[in-house]
Amino acid sequence: MKTETMKIRIPALPARIISVWARHMSVYTRNLFSNAFPPFLEPLIFLAGIGLGVGMFIRGNVDGMPYLLFLATGLIITPAMYTASFECSYGTFVRLEYDHVYDGMLAAPLTYRDVIWGELLFVGTKGVFFSLSVLIIVFSIGIVRNPFSLVTPFVGGLTGLMFGAIALVITSFVNNLNYFNFFFTGFLSPMFFFSGLVFPLSNLPKPLQFVAEILPLTHPIRMARSLCTGRLDGTIVFDFFYCLLFIVVFGYLATKLLKKRLIF
Amino acid sequence: MDSIEPVIFIRNVVKSYGDLRAVNHVSFEVPPALCYGLLGPNGAGKSTMMKMIYGKALRDREGGEIRIFGFDPAADELAIKHLSGVVPQDDNLDEELDVVGNLMIYARFYGLPKKIAKERIDRLLGFMDLNEKRKVAIRELSGGMKRRLVIVRALLNNPRLLILDEPTTGLDPQVRHLIWDRLRKLKRDGVTILLTTHYMEEAFQICDRVSIMHKGEKVLEGAPQDLIEKNIEAYVLEVMDPSKLEKVCGLCEDPAIRQDRTGDMALLYSDDIAKLKAVQEGMEPGGCYLRQSNLEDLFLKTTGRSLNED
Repeated sequence: MKTETMKIRIPALPARIISVWARHMSVYTRNLFSNAFPPFLEPLIFLAGIGLGVGMFIRGNVDGMPYLLFLATGLIITPAMYTASFECSYGTFVRLEYDHVYDGMLAAPLTYRDVIWGELLFVGTKGVFFSLSVLIIVFSIGIVRNPFSLVTPFVGGLTGLMFGAIALVITSFVNNLNYFNFFFTGFLSPMFFFSGLVFPLSNLPKPLQFVAEILPLTHPIRMARSLCTGRLDGTIVFDFFYCLLFIVVFGYLATKLLKKRLIF
Repeated sequence: MDSIEPVIFIRNVVKSYGDLRAVNHVSFEVPPALCYGLLGPNGAGKSTMMKMIYGKALRDREGGEIRIFGFDPAADELAIKHLSGVVPQDDNLDEELDVVGNLMIYARFYGLPKKIAKERIDRLLGFMDLNEKRKVAIRELSGGMKRRLVIVRALLNNPRLLILDEPTTGLDPQVRHLIWDRLRKLKRDGVTILLTTHYMEEAFQICDRVSIMHKGEKVLEGAPQDLIEKNIEAYVLEVMDPSKLEKVCGLCEDPAIRQDRTGDMALLYSDDIAKLKAVQEGMEPGGCYLRQSNLEDLFLKTTGRSLNED
């Protein structure tokens, strides 16, 4: 066989990653309503229940803004966190162990990196989409008004990448679906309450404030809040770089650790 | 470059999982446009060997040499995958999408422009007799249709090498014959084929060469007919009730007859059909069957009769 005469035109790295992304998009959008409606509705129910319900008892401003605005700015981010976490834990595990999706992909001209990064790009996209959909609601009912808030879906995208990456790291260790309960109940649920979403971090004792500052959700929420209120200062730059660093570190770990589950 | 280089070149390949040697110093070569079969019981290392060829599994460090079209999968997996089509053991189709939807996803993996992809999909669905199933949901396909669809998927990039892991396991005879027929056609068009199988008939039908693997090692290699002629007696007498043999044990004790007792059955092998006939006639009629030996007999002789389930 004369290898010289054979045409070998392998798609370039970006095209390969996008082809993986495109696979997830077409499978996901096939049942878009049942896939996307619940995670979209969840933050709105929370906003109505806690914001309008509990918010009635809150007199004056929280962190210098009405409580409904305070809560809404955080709830733009949380669906990005939850969908990315679900997708890269349960979703990835099912694709890996039950549906053997990656076996097929890795038989096509794709590397394990293409597969992992395409998956992260997909959850980043979902993050943008869910943040945008919540933003549209809170913008149109007049809770959020600042034009800078239009950048928050981008923060939702970063959130998707962050939690996609950390969920992939978790998945690389998991041999049984039930173990993901620890991730959701033990990590995500407490973080939901201690990342400055429901109440300001300044209400926490000093040591806990320090812990909250390490938690990943704190930073995109603070960014979204700055953007929605137009109070932009140096903190948002710090938060942005925290998010980037988090994505790079956990993205690297996910690639390294998941490789052992994909190629062996 | 006049000499024919092998498409697949495997030399002394070793693959371990912890303490387990899944593939132990295996070597073989497959020249172009040939069909090569890897036979062996479960756990013999066939699938692992196959996965190392397209980089889904990595051979050990210092674990021998693999060249596919001259490329080493450890360094150039993408080039190999670009030139090869793979049919994995499981039909990993996207249940959410229809037949064409599944294929378009893979066309994109191969970087095929949409127009070319559509033309190829049409042609290949016709080739595998799936033309009427274009818009059908995956869950409505039978097992045989799914298998054919996975083969279409593997053919999307016009592969020069087709790798199939147990292509017809669990399929009905009609579909098996259709798949064998198409594989022969592909071979005539110059496609090199590597497959694993448990079915001796399959190996006999389509493989030009086979190797029998056992516990990670290659134990026999050759053309199916040659292997039978060289390694096993030409005829077999199957006796369902071995107690009947007691009456004719004088005839059985002949050095030209090899006896193989398995559970409640006895197999008598010999190159001399007359001797086996004499045994048969000496017994009460019924309950025995004289036939030519086949690849399965050879397979069981080389890999043993015990179950390979650990």
